[in-house]
Amino acid sequence: MTRDWWKHLILMLGVIVVIAPFYMMVSYSFKSPGEIDRGEGGFFGRQEMMVDERCVKLRDPSRDDIAAAAPDYPGLSDSEIRDALVSAAEADCSMRPVVFNYTKAFTEAPLLRYLLNGVIVTASIFLIQVVVALPAAYALAKLKFWGREAVFGLVLFCLLIPVHAIALPLYIMLAKLGLTNTYAALVVPWTISVFGIFLMRQFFMTVPDDLIDAARMDGMGEFAIVWRVMLPTAIPALLAFAIFSVVAHWNDYFWPRIVVTGNRDLFTPPLGLREFKGDGDGSFFGPMMATATVIVMPLIVAFLLAQKRFIEGITLSGMK
Amino acid sequence: MAVVETSSPGAAPKTSLGRAAEERRTAWFLTAPALLLMVVILLAPVVIAGVLSFTNYSLGNTGFDWIGTRNYERLFTRSTYEKMFVATLTYVVTVVPISVGLGLGAALLINSLGRFRELYKTIYFLPVMATLLAMAIAWEFMLHPSIGMINRTLEMGCGTVLETVWPFMANGCAERFPVWLGDKRYAIWVICFIGIWQGFGFNMVLYLAGLTSVHRELYHAAEMDGAKSGWDRFRLVTWPALGPTTVFVVTITCIRAFQVFDTIEAFWPQGGGPNKSTYVMMFAIFEKGVQQNLIGIGSAITMLFLAFVMFLTLIQRWLVERKVHY
Repeated sequence: MTRDWWKHLILMLGVIVVIAPFYMMVSYSFKSPGEIDRGEGGFFGRQEMMVDERCVKLRDPSRDDIAAAAPDYPGLSDSEIRDALVSAAEADCSMRPVVFNYTKAFTEAPLLRYLLNGVIVTASIFLIQVVVALPAAYALAKLKFWGREAVFGLVLFCLLIPVHAIALPLYIMLAKLGLTNTYAALVVPWTISVFGIFLMRQFFMTVPDDLIDAARMDGMGEFAIVWRVMLPTAIPALLAFAIFSVVAHWNDYFWPRIVVTGNRDLFTPPLGLREFKGDGDGSFFGPMMATATVIVMPLIVAFLLAQKRFIEGITLSGMK
Repeated sequence: MAVVETSSPGAAPKTSLGRAAEERRTAWFLTAPALLLMVVILLAPVVIAGVLSFTNYSLGNTGFDWIGTRNYERLFTRSTYEKMFVATLTYVVTVVPISVGLGLGAALLINSLGRFRELYKTIYFLPVMATLLAMAIAWEFMLHPSIGMINRTLEMGCGTVLETVWPFMANGCAERFPVWLGDKRYAIWVICFIGIWQGFGFNMVLYLAGLTSVHRELYHAAEMDGAKSGWDRFRLVTWPALGPTTVFVVTITCIRAFQVFDTIEAFWPQGGGPNKSTYVMMFAIFEKGVQQNLIGIGSAITMLFLAFVMFLTLIQRWLVERKVHY
């Protein structure tokens, strides 16, 4: 430990640089606009009550409101009633900055909807990838058929093509089919994972043939073998692949940006955050950072809970 | 099973023939969806991009004209595209060596530690997991010229010795500190920095995995042969043993670096940065092809992009076949 102090020093410096933006993101999501502007308040901010100006402005009493409220304030003049109403509104609209930031994050934009879209899109992508890739991987690994080498060669060739690179022709195809601004557009290009096929094939190669022969003896069809024999043996590999796939598509911004334009109902979390930023008039740092925190957190928390699996999953592409 | 085959030697070939035919049919049935999708989603677009790159097609037009190689000529003559190549190559050439080097350095340091290994590993891996777009926005705040954490930290250095030894500080304190994202001298380097920040943890993890496969005996053997210093041991044992990992890490970092987009779109939704200094290829494809509907030129950039990426991967495969053990 004492001998290694210089190593720790270097690594700690690295830690500071790596952590800084996370620290700032979470910290800003706690603070009031004033604290952000002046750079005060430490990590959590002072959490003094703050008044939401917009909320007060929305409740600015009109002539009718004052007339309606008159019976509640007997013996007061109109302007006094008005002042009383405004201060009541201010009292209702004041809250802790952290509450303000996170409520704004969910009310200014349909953040829940975005998160739900993110879940729908990533889940459908993963499920379809498995449904398509698993049978193919099984056939390539365990069945003998004319053309197998050719199909596998095609898989290897397709591994060379990053889907982001062919985004433009894919976009044209989807536009021609009238599919832009649909869930289909978000999901379809990712339904085929050649990497998944390759990975599962390598895994299935290690499954003993006896297991499959035994299943055939029991009268199972090939289709049943894929789902009832091969799938259970492949759970660890599938889990790693799931992490790989979900992380990639939850975080993806490029593809949703291309095929979803304007229709907020289809926004994935990164698109929602982007729009939030575009709308910002500068005073909304707190809620925006709260949004960012909400979007980043699910994966980070999952990662912290199951680090080994995550690192395995993300570095899958390193497996050969 | 062996019993079944030996007990009926005459019937075996017949049934196995029937089985083979059935197996073939099932196999095709099982691979068909994957094959179809591969062709439609991966191969067809490449062909389409190839064809359209020789036309002046736009979405919404009924027809198009063949304009030969004019799109490609434009790519190599217009100054906009020169800037595109400069930005992309600057990014790739900066980010790849530094993030691979930092990944290797961090892995070696962490691997030599007894305690806190997991902690460092976890922290360095965080940026890989985080949504890049969200982190880009966090960085944008950090880099804010007046209220950003970076310039505030730099301001603390004013009036100290730093000012006399570091011209950048002296300059910053006298005038003001850079506006980072708005300055064409810094913009691309900020993007590079974020790219490195985000990617080196991934390389570190791959190197850590590679290091576990280096045999201890090799170090002993090297020591016997007179490799006394740590550098000698690294040069003679560790580095050659990490050859395959390095080939893979460099390729994947390259391919990712070519695809940089999120940060640039987040910082400069229009135009690719101050004076187009961060106008990288992915952004160009997005802007020309999708936003401006100039499909021809967008396709030409796509083809060039694919050529770069495929070339890199093929080099990697070739190196792996040769079993990189220098």
